[in-house]
Amino acid sequence: MNPLAQPIIYTTMITGTLITTLSSHWFLAWVGLEMNMLAFIPILMKKTNPRSTEAAIKYFLMQSTASMVLMMAIISNNLLSGCWTTTSYINQPPSLMMMTALAMKLGMAPFHFWVPEVTQGTPLTSGLLLLTWQKLAPISIMYQIHPSINIHILLTLSTLSTAMGSWGGLNQTQLRKILGYSSITHMGWMMMTLVYNPMTTIFYLTIYIILTTTMFLTLNLSSSTTTLMLSRTWNKSTHLAPLMAPILMSLGGLPPLTGFLPKWIIIQELTMNNSFLIPSIMTIMTLLNLYFYMRLIYTTSLTLFPTSNNTKMTWQLENTKPMPLIPPLIITSTLLLPISPLLLTFH
Amino acid sequence: MAYVLFTLSVLLVMGFVGFSSKPSPIYGGLALIVSGVVGCVIVLNCGGVYMGLVMFLVYLGGMMVVFGYTTAMAIEEYPETWGSGLEVLGGLLVGLMMEVVLVLWVLSLDETVVVSFSDTGDWVIFEGEGSGLIRGDSIGAGALYDYGRWLVVVAGWTLFVGVYIVIEIVRGN
Repeated sequence: MNPLAQPIIYTTMITGTLITTLSSHWFLAWVGLEMNMLAFIPILMKKTNPRSTEAAIKYFLMQSTASMVLMMAIISNNLLSGCWTTTSYINQPPSLMMMTALAMKLGMAPFHFWVPEVTQGTPLTSGLLLLTWQKLAPISIMYQIHPSINIHILLTLSTLSTAMGSWGGLNQTQLRKILGYSSITHMGWMMMTLVYNPMTTIFYLTIYIILTTTMFLTLNLSSSTTTLMLSRTWNKSTHLAPLMAPILMSLGGLPPLTGFLPKWIIIQELTMNNSFLIPSIMTIMTLLNLYFYMRLIYTTSLTLFPTSNNTKMTWQLENTKPMPLIPPLIITSTLLLPISPLLLTFH
Repeated sequence: MAYVLFTLSVLLVMGFVGFSSKPSPIYGGLALIVSGVVGCVIVLNCGGVYMGLVMFLVYLGGMMVVFGYTTAMAIEEYPETWGSGLEVLGGLLVGLMMEVVLVLWVLSLDETVVVSFSDTGDWVIFEGEGSGLIRGDSIGAGALYDYGRWLVVVAGWTLFVGVYIVIEIVRGN
């Protein structure tokens, strides 16, 4: 990107999210979402090839449709209640429209089809921003409207998201698509307890952002975007090959790693509200997620694929690529479970 | 005359169908001009004299003119018009037919569907003490720079960044 335009575009992206999270007027919340989306389009097209153009177009179409539906819901709510504040109760039909619009923005099923394709068409760092920063603004709006949300439809969307995210990621070898499907699954988990205890949603979002950031930055180190390229990690950065295993297991939600903690809290919230079938279904569906993470661990550190001899010398050369924040992120994404009483102050 | 707002809204939707059936942008611009004019007349009918005239000037006289010039620069040799292929004509006819069905259905109902056309309010008119008549629309435009200063700043910044974004996308290299 042009180095003159880069700070302006990144500033606008951050400012859009800030405006949405900090506004109490529905119009400004919508304006922030639009600023965020507009400024994110050139970030998606950092490398200009037809694939990233297609990804940017898909992203733009989905997000602008969602913004239109959100604006319709805001105006209908004003017609019915005369209210412009985000903290007041929303009538049911506009609340349904708002939930649909925000589900489209977050990539929850049945509006999840754009997530793997847009994540695949962009560079790894843009994909990182797509799956972490772009979730903040819609989730902040969902947090503010959580008293008015229809429980049944939200639980349906969440269960569908978990199922679609897990089943969809099974046949993938492209790492960005795998992370896209993992994002769909995690969105499903996040929205389960929005109505019961919205702080658990924010907690899950925090842990999910840490885990996804770790994953993307680790992949960015060896610039690996397919499973085959990941299988050469033992050669390129030998110290990272066994470290991918706990990161991926944490992403899949295995105890005693950090990724288990938010799932545990959500299952606890749901069972406290006398709901047993839904958390069981969600947990079983997420096992499929864990399966394809295990496949990645297998190709990274548990086997050595046959390679020609001259590709086995890369580890002897000095690696000059800087590792931004990866060691503290790995520690945070695997070892937070023992301090969970400190983290769970909202209980 | 009570149905003038209803008729204008129907004409507006028909103009929208005209460009959403996807002819070439030059013809889409033509349909946009028609829709824009009808929209301005709707605003005028609701009593927003200042708003309607500002929209005529800025939207139709400024933005639409620039749009027309840029599409004229990027036009192809045989632009696709409404009667030039079955797709565009089919889209147009289906849209118009659905609009007619909707209008007939709304007219047959007794209650209001979304907005009641018989008693839409007027732009608010204030009687100030000794200062005469204050109309809601022109005072609102003034209040935009007073109470709504932050919104003007945000909108201005977004338009400014929009130019950067479009240049980045089109000439990113």
